[in-house]
Amino acid sequence: MSTPAIDIQAVHKSFRRHQVLRGMTLQVERGQTFAFLGRNGAGKTTTIQLLLGLLNRDEGAIRVLGHDPENEPLEVRAKVGYLAEDQTMYGWMKCGDILRFMAPFYPTWDHDLALKYAKDFEVPLQTKIKHLSKGQNVRLGLVLALAHRPELVILDDPALGLDPIMRKQFNRDLITHLQGEGRTVFYSSHLLYEVEPVADEVAILKEGRIVRRSETEALRRDVKQIILGRQAAGLLQEKSTVLDFRPDGDDVALTVAGVGIALELLHRDGVEHRVVDLDLDEIFEAYVTGKSHGWETAEDQPVAIET
Amino acid sequence: MLLRIEKGSAVPISRQIIGQIAMLCASGKLQPSQRLPSVRELARELAVNQNTILRVYERLVSDGLLEMRHGQGTFVAQSAKSNSRTVHRERLIEELRQLARQALSLGLTTEQIHDLLAQALDQLHKQATTAEASS
Repeated sequence: MSTPAIDIQAVHKSFRRHQVLRGMTLQVERGQTFAFLGRNGAGKTTTIQLLLGLLNRDEGAIRVLGHDPENEPLEVRAKVGYLAEDQTMYGWMKCGDILRFMAPFYPTWDHDLALKYAKDFEVPLQTKIKHLSKGQNVRLGLVLALAHRPELVILDDPALGLDPIMRKQFNRDLITHLQGEGRTVFYSSHLLYEVEPVADEVAILKEGRIVRRSETEALRRDVKQIILGRQAAGLLQEKSTVLDFRPDGDDVALTVAGVGIALELLHRDGVEHRVVDLDLDEIFEAYVTGKSHGWETAEDQPVAIET
Repeated sequence: MLLRIEKGSAVPISRQIIGQIAMLCASGKLQPSQRLPSVRELARELAVNQNTILRVYERLVSDGLLEMRHGQGTFVAQSAKSNSRTVHRERLIEELRQLARQALSLGLTTEQIHDLLAQALDQLHKQATTAEASS
């Protein structure tokens, strides 16, 4: 079991002249709950569709549970449970009908398990799909994704459109039914505060590449904001990674990755400074929209951030 | 055992849980030999990653607040109350340091800060005595 669940090597993907993935590399170990983060349009859904063989890559290599989704899509789909973003299902079918409809597509489909999940997730089997609420719809999709006992579950923004109570319930389902059973879960999201309690690791996608991958709590220990005098700030520029800066009069607030080394330097030189802990949203923001250059000469007003 | 996770807080989730369990041990709400929920149960209840809960329990075991009995589960240690004081002391010192820093940046003198703390303590004592008198 030494092969990773997901192995993406230097993958490129363009749609006409629009480059979405630019040499993306990422491995996900088996048994992990892995959150895949990025802004809208960063390439999360494209990556997921490549993993399932729904799209073909332009360059690079992909292995999912040891199979190439481009050449062996059936092997991949037999072992992977997939919930698409905004999954649409036949509205005229009753929930119970779609479970029976899906069963023959999967050699390992376990119908008793499907019914058990439907009960656990409170999916009303007698109701037509078009009458389901958004939350029920996601949970029905999850039942369909899990009933063939997949080794790997890929969820494309499952929390999208769920209210806070449904999201908590969904996280609970994920922890009990997936983490608890040792499966690998790969899911995309942009609700960081929802991801934080649940994920073992996160990866941040920006401009078609992974810019950071880390255990959730390690990331928070590693990335912090340091507020110090502008003159002293040059010291950090050389020795550590500055993700973002906010000038403030004679001071500057730097968001720094590798904060341990940075603080050692400041202590060694006796530079006065203040450290601010950041939450995951702020860290994410620093990675995806941070300005790392030009702060030495920047005016007091921070540069407007592109949206 | 009632725990509350604050999402999006600058305090990591594991530290939040550690702090709250230590608090329950210190206040005696968790009594020695009391059994804690299993890793799986607590993970489900709080909707928090099982590995996070496992790390929290392991940390609290090494701090002497909890003990794991093989095959039986996780229990509050005999000396949890006194050990939790050490954990809390460290946190309290850090919080006092931050308060002191804020007070200094507001331009208060050391004496004024001492006075404010004395006043706060005074108020608490008064509240405690009135509560006793009325009961």
